[in-house]
Amino acid sequence: MTLARTDYRAVVVGAGILGLYTAYHLARAGERRLLVVDRGRLSAGGSGRNGGGIRQQWETRSTIRLAREAVAAYRRFGREFGHNVWFRQGGYLFLAGTPEELQRLARVRDAGRSEGLPVRLVGTDEVERLVDGIVPGACVGGCYLASDGTLYPYPAVWGLYEAVVALGVEVALGVEALGVRRDDRGKLAEVLTSSGGVSSPTVVNAAGGWSGEFSRRCGLDVPNVATRHDILATEPVKPFLDPMVVRVSDGLYFSQSMRGELVGGLSVSHPPGTQAGVPSSPRFVTAMASALVGLLPRLAGLGVLRAWAGFYDDTPDGFPMIGEDPRLPGFVHANGFGGHGFMLAPSASRRVASSVLNEPVDLDPREFSPARFLGPGAAPSSERLQLG
Amino acid sequence: MASAPPRRFRFGRSEVEARPGDTILAALARRGWPSLARSIRYHRPRGPVCGVGNCTGCLVRVNGVPNVRSCRRPARDGDVVRSENSWPSPRFDLFGALDLLLPNGVDTLHGLRRPAWAAPLYQGFGRRLAGFGRVPDRSPDVPARGSRSRTTEVTVVGGGRSGRAVTEALVRSGEHPLLLERRSTTDPDGPGPALTPGAELLPGTTATFLDPPRPGEGSGFTLLAIDDDAQGVLVRTRTVILATGAYDGSLVFEGSDRPGVITADLALSGAGLPLGESVVVGGGARARAVLDRLGPGVTAVVAFGEIVPEVVRAAADLQIPLYPRSRVVRSVGHAHVRALELARRDGGGTFRLPCRTVVLAHRRLPNAQLAFQGGARRRWIDVPGAYYPEVDGLGRTSVPGIWAVGSAATPSGRAGPAAEQVVAAVLDPGTPAPPPAPGPPSELVPYYRELLDEPRHGKWVVCPCEDVLLGELEAAVARGYRGIELVMRYTGVGTGLCQGRYCLPEAIVLLSILEGRAPAEGGFVTQRPPLVPTSLGALAALREELLPEAGT
Repeated sequence: MTLARTDYRAVVVGAGILGLYTAYHLARAGERRLLVVDRGRLSAGGSGRNGGGIRQQWETRSTIRLAREAVAAYRRFGREFGHNVWFRQGGYLFLAGTPEELQRLARVRDAGRSEGLPVRLVGTDEVERLVDGIVPGACVGGCYLASDGTLYPYPAVWGLYEAVVALGVEVALGVEALGVRRDDRGKLAEVLTSSGGVSSPTVVNAAGGWSGEFSRRCGLDVPNVATRHDILATEPVKPFLDPMVVRVSDGLYFSQSMRGELVGGLSVSHPPGTQAGVPSSPRFVTAMASALVGLLPRLAGLGVLRAWAGFYDDTPDGFPMIGEDPRLPGFVHANGFGGHGFMLAPSASRRVASSVLNEPVDLDPREFSPARFLGPGAAPSSERLQLG
Repeated sequence: MASAPPRRFRFGRSEVEARPGDTILAALARRGWPSLARSIRYHRPRGPVCGVGNCTGCLVRVNGVPNVRSCRRPARDGDVVRSENSWPSPRFDLFGALDLLLPNGVDTLHGLRRPAWAAPLYQGFGRRLAGFGRVPDRSPDVPARGSRSRTTEVTVVGGGRSGRAVTEALVRSGEHPLLLERRSTTDPDGPGPALTPGAELLPGTTATFLDPPRPGEGSGFTLLAIDDDAQGVLVRTRTVILATGAYDGSLVFEGSDRPGVITADLALSGAGLPLGESVVVGGGARARAVLDRLGPGVTAVVAFGEIVPEVVRAAADLQIPLYPRSRVVRSVGHAHVRALELARRDGGGTFRLPCRTVVLAHRRLPNAQLAFQGGARRRWIDVPGAYYPEVDGLGRTSVPGIWAVGSAATPSGRAGPAAEQVVAAVLDPGTPAPPPAPGPPSELVPYYRELLDEPRHGKWVVCPCEDVLLGELEAAVARGYRGIELVMRYTGVGTGLCQGRYCLPEAIVLLSILEGRAPAEGGFVTQRPPLVPTSLGALAALREELLPEAGT
């Protein structure tokens, strides 16, 4: 495949939700000569493999702000992009198994309330009402926000893809970004791809699970770790569950999609860096089944249709990396979302675009700047609600 | 067996008597053609299609558990069986009005977006309509089982002719193979394989790889064998010989999803449905088998191309007309087919063949999902028009340790290796193989190409599980989405309860025409585990079997 030009204003690596949204914001800001490359097809990576959860309950106020903005964007997505994502705001319910976990959820509630969200702690009776058939005594309580929800991820990718193409962005699928070349002053000069090199003052690393690999190909030592996560979907049944349910102790999460399938996963550890095209693992499928049936015994009769896996792009402190890498001017990070890129993409990508355009970015650099991993000393806080 | 007391189960408000060995479907079929459910999106009538556990036309709720294949599930005394996805009943379903109100379907991807205030209404209504069956009332009764794991050197999957021959040859060579066979020992379709002394038989089971081999880790495989009660056994084995056979494929035309349109598998199974006044579609060996079985029940034979002499002779004996080089336009009827409409060959108009059953016997597809899931390379074969595992002349696939024999590896009517040759090569992997022979060109591609050029009306259901229409495939291609993997995500084709067994082969051929390239260039989908819906309860019960190696 040959690219349309040899010089671009910006090259975005990754045609997932983050990369496409970033290209969209840039094109809307009037930028031309934009290129998005992806070595796979659309929805082949995390944007086509996630469970579609969209939540605003977090431990840090900065993430809550991004999440609120994202929820508003997904609410209007169908009208804006011509594709229904069927964003259903059935709530997110975190379950605490111990008083300590409930204390932690109280902090989540406090953080949400300080941002004006009606997050509330719920007792076991309300948990039993929200999750019909849950085993009595399965939890000591929970934390709930009704305006969180789930969506159907694929149409978001289609809608954005068609929108950016209509805006004149070149989307080259099946083209792999191989690295970059610097000029004499150390600034970004050229992006090397499997279809040849193109000159560009900016490259955006939105490669999801492969972003660490791409940064390192560009000579940047980054702490991103690709962590494999499995997920399964059951046969579709009539609606019986409104909220996304997340258990704090083991990261078990599940919700019922608009198609009626129960979709969920569990934090099962796998060796890091497992290959792409990942088959689901037997220990995940059986552990997930065991956890689900343990919590909702009547699900024992529900059939699993398929299981698959994808990658979380994890950082040490649980915050993503948004912004220019100080070691390589022109190299902009849009990665490290730890499995939550889809839910934060509409708002996070706005900041990525601002960073490309050298506009001010309204994010705490101690939490989001790639520079935070470079100097001595750790980040002041961390976003530890890396569940569901 | 004959002296066993009769069993009775409830179906809706009535009580049904079952004979020993009956499946639920067989017992219901004795009272006439059963209406069991409506389709997922448009509430179109649905009925049994295959009778061998592949399709989703015979799903029922049994003892509070949804989506049970009534053609596989033995009828047991006291069972409570209910129809699904219809109100008040599959025959008179109120939501069936949707099908009439939306003659060309509804575009849930792009439509239903405005006005903004209506979005929650669309969403609420859409959510109510989605899903097939209701969530289980309670956990199912689990019959007690023995050990849930086996370890063996060689596992043969499929106990048909090829599988049985290979199993027997293995035993003669001193092996103790494990044989997984889908039919149960009390199957109406014949008792499945008799136990070969020296081999262990797990009857009534369907296999899926739980742990597909990765390159460079050739230390064996973990198979999950699921039985008709949705109970599982873990099989650890070093060699897997797939003899999973073939099944009759579907055909897309207007109303191809109407009850009464069935595949030859159902006509030849012992499900006992009333199959008089049948039109057979297909002019080859499979059509001949249907003519032999149904005899005077067949009223006409229709084929895309020429009809083979043996079918011509059989039709002459039955004094029934033949329609070679013909194109099916649509099925006529509402809740059941009343006629099959064909295009006139001389170019002018259509004509109808009155019938109560349309038997699709035109194309026999390999049951090769397991081979692909195991990572075997695939090759497209134009007749019948399907991906087969790439095998050498001895059944060796591209994955060391996985073999494929019989009609899962070689199209019907073409010679494969003898069982003794396969076993000799399994036991001595160095054995050289003869090269495979080339096959004839496709009749299906020109058939569908002609069809796509014609003006169309009504619903052409490509994927009966999810009610995906031909127009949705065309729209996806028109918008630039290419290849089956992407179009599957775009339209939902192949994501339903039958795991794409019926729609994907059709969709791949149709897409190849729409995209103007060879079918194999459009790629294929990943075969994800499990290959058959497997209950959470069965999977949870296997957790302990895996624990020693799990370490989580």
